[in-house]
Amino acid sequence: MTPVLRAVALEKTYAPLAAGGVGLRLFEDLSLEVAAGEMVAVVGESGAGKSSLLHLLAALDRPTSGEVWCGETNVTRLNARQAGEYRNREIGYVWQFHYLLPEFTALENVAMPLLSRGARRGVALEEAARWLQRVGLGDRGEHRSGELSGGEQQRLSIARALITKPKLLLADEPTGDLDGATAERVFELLQELHRENALASVLVTHNLEFAGRCDRVLRLKAGRLAVA
Amino acid sequence: MRFELFVAARYLRARRRQAVVGLITVISVVGVAAGVAALIIALAITNGMRRDLQQRLVGSTAHVQLMRTAGDGISHWRPLMARLAAVPHVTAVAPGLYGQVLISRGARSGGALIKGIVPADEATVGNLLQSVNEGSAAELAPNTSTVAAGSQLAPPLVIGHELALTLGAEVGDSLLVTSPQGELTPLGLVPRYQRFRVVGIFSSGFYQYDDGYAFMRLTDAQRLFSEPDLVSVISFKIDDLYKAEQVGKAIEAAAGPGFQTTNWMEQNRELFRAMKLEQDVTFIVLALIVVVAALNILIALTMMVMEKTRDIAVMMSFGVTAEQVRKIFLLQGLLISAVGTVLGLVLGYVVSIVGSHYRFIALDASVYSIDYLPFAPRLVDALVVAGVSLGMSLLATIYPSSSAASVLPAEALRYE
Ligand SMILES: Nc1ncnc2c1ncn2[C@@H]1O[C@H](COP(=O)(O)OP(=O)(O)O)[C@@H](O)[C@H]1O
Ligand SMILES: [Mg+2]
Repeated sequence: MTPVLRAVALEKTYAPLAAGGVGLRLFEDLSLEVAAGEMVAVVGESGAGKSSLLHLLAALDRPTSGEVWCGETNVTRLNARQAGEYRNREIGYVWQFHYLLPEFTALENVAMPLLSRGARRGVALEEAARWLQRVGLGDRGEHRSGELSGGEQQRLSIARALITKPKLLLADEPTGDLDGATAERVFELLQELHRENALASVLVTHNLEFAGRCDRVLRLKAGRLAVA
Repeated sequence: MRFELFVAARYLRARRRQAVVGLITVISVVGVAAGVAALIIALAITNGMRRDLQQRLVGSTAHVQLMRTAGDGISHWRPLMARLAAVPHVTAVAPGLYGQVLISRGARSGGALIKGIVPADEATVGNLLQSVNEGSAAELAPNTSTVAAGSQLAPPLVIGHELALTLGAEVGDSLLVTSPQGELTPLGLVPRYQRFRVVGIFSSGFYQYDDGYAFMRLTDAQRLFSEPDLVSVISFKIDDLYKAEQVGKAIEAAAGPGFQTTNWMEQNRELFRAMKLEQDVTFIVLALIVVVAALNILIALTMMVMEKTRDIAVMMSFGVTAEQVRKIFLLQGLLISAVGTVLGLVLGYVVSIVGSHYRFIALDASVYSIDYLPFAPRLVDALVVAGVSLGMSLLATIYPSSSAASVLPAEALRYE
């Protein structure tokens, strides 16, 4: 079975801040494969480069060398427009912060990725309403994000990430900002949705208990991923 | 485009986290509206002034004038006039014998252009004689008797108000009219002079006419200039002012070789050119208001982009392209400008239309020769002004929308 996501020999070096300084080499020959239905946890110290890795996987940034493949697509070769399309169709992204757009209602926020690809408003909002229902916020559609609790906001951002039916879920410390019980419920929701949609998921987390409940745990250390 | 417009409109309407961005947005709208309204009103006024001047100018003089290229006078003018009256668009024809003279009263004197005319005809091509407000032009009619109470009266003369002031002349006064086109005598060329009697003084409001024109009977002019029965000019009124050029050509063609025409536009070219220049300068000065408003748009959008950097990055993370982001901010600028422009157009036209209706701005008639400020709003002004306003705003959006489009999501979303 071919993996949904394949990172091959990734290297990322940040240019030195001052002329003559040393650049920061973040990854060296980093490789990763994630299959459909598989949830991989990535752990590592703060500053190890976990967020940077997800950015490379989502084509939000380019590696210095190496390639990222999604199915048959070489993600590192995509131009700006194609990369946008790749993120819209193949990737659901969740952050530590909900990053909901404050000017829009919960329903509109969830519908955003469909609206931005040109879907009709009625269709997009209908689909968004279904997703709100699914994440347990069916009655909060008209609320602005500021009127919701932290857990609710994160549920919304999960719904927004998955409304486009992506193959890949990238979550960057999605429970990092939540208290224990809320974090537990958000993690459960992620796992349920991961299974329901047979996603290939990469979960960056500091919570070793959550990490242990994933299919695999990898530790990012010294620029490489190793089985923890 | 639907998505970009949706986001842009929402961003503009939503209450801002930073109140100052909202304030600058409102100021931008008000600024655009003020600039557009000022332009519309100023253009309406300059148009009104020009239209008013043109109407009075064109009312008082002929639209087209025909003369001999050689300046030798038109001898068979009666049949020629009858023939030219049939040229299309010609509505009235009048003969005239013009000549430069010196008019004097005692020690005072002034130059004038004599127009020897037939009043009934002249009235159909120009209304200068209608503006006689002291005495009357009636005596200029061809058959009035100049013999009264057994004594020979001097022939009648109508002069302009300013010339009358120069000469200190009043109705009833006797003036000496001297023609430099003198008579050949054994003593050489001797100027011809003759006494005339002021029967009327006209006041048209145009200094150049009131100071420089004098009317007498055609036959008196012929005698004064020692000419046989000929005229120097045939004047025409036509039904479409702006066809003066073409109708002039048609008249020349109908008159045959040796004739040429001038028209009111040629004769007043300098005046209209000056008015056009004045209008252009007014436009440029007032367009500066729009430029300032566009700068406000630039500031509002730049601050908006800074406030929204993270949101832009988030949108990019779910697939919104840089081009879409650019359009979102471009549309915000255009929306601000469009709202301001529409408000300004409405305000400008309301003021102009109300102004032209109620004449609520009074002017000093002795200075401006009209006693109210004329407004003549035109549709084409709206198009030009709206084009300038939207164009400026579009320029103002280039920088902020490009900086929005160049947000690097990986940088903007790095959480410390
Ligand atoms: N543009 C950049 N230039 C230089 N250094 C960077 C840049 N982006 C990230 N870094 C550095 O890369 C390291 C990894 O950051 P990050 O991926 O956010 O780590 P993590 O998510 O594991 O905490 C950090 O030390 C950060 O300072
Ligand atoms: Mg991180």
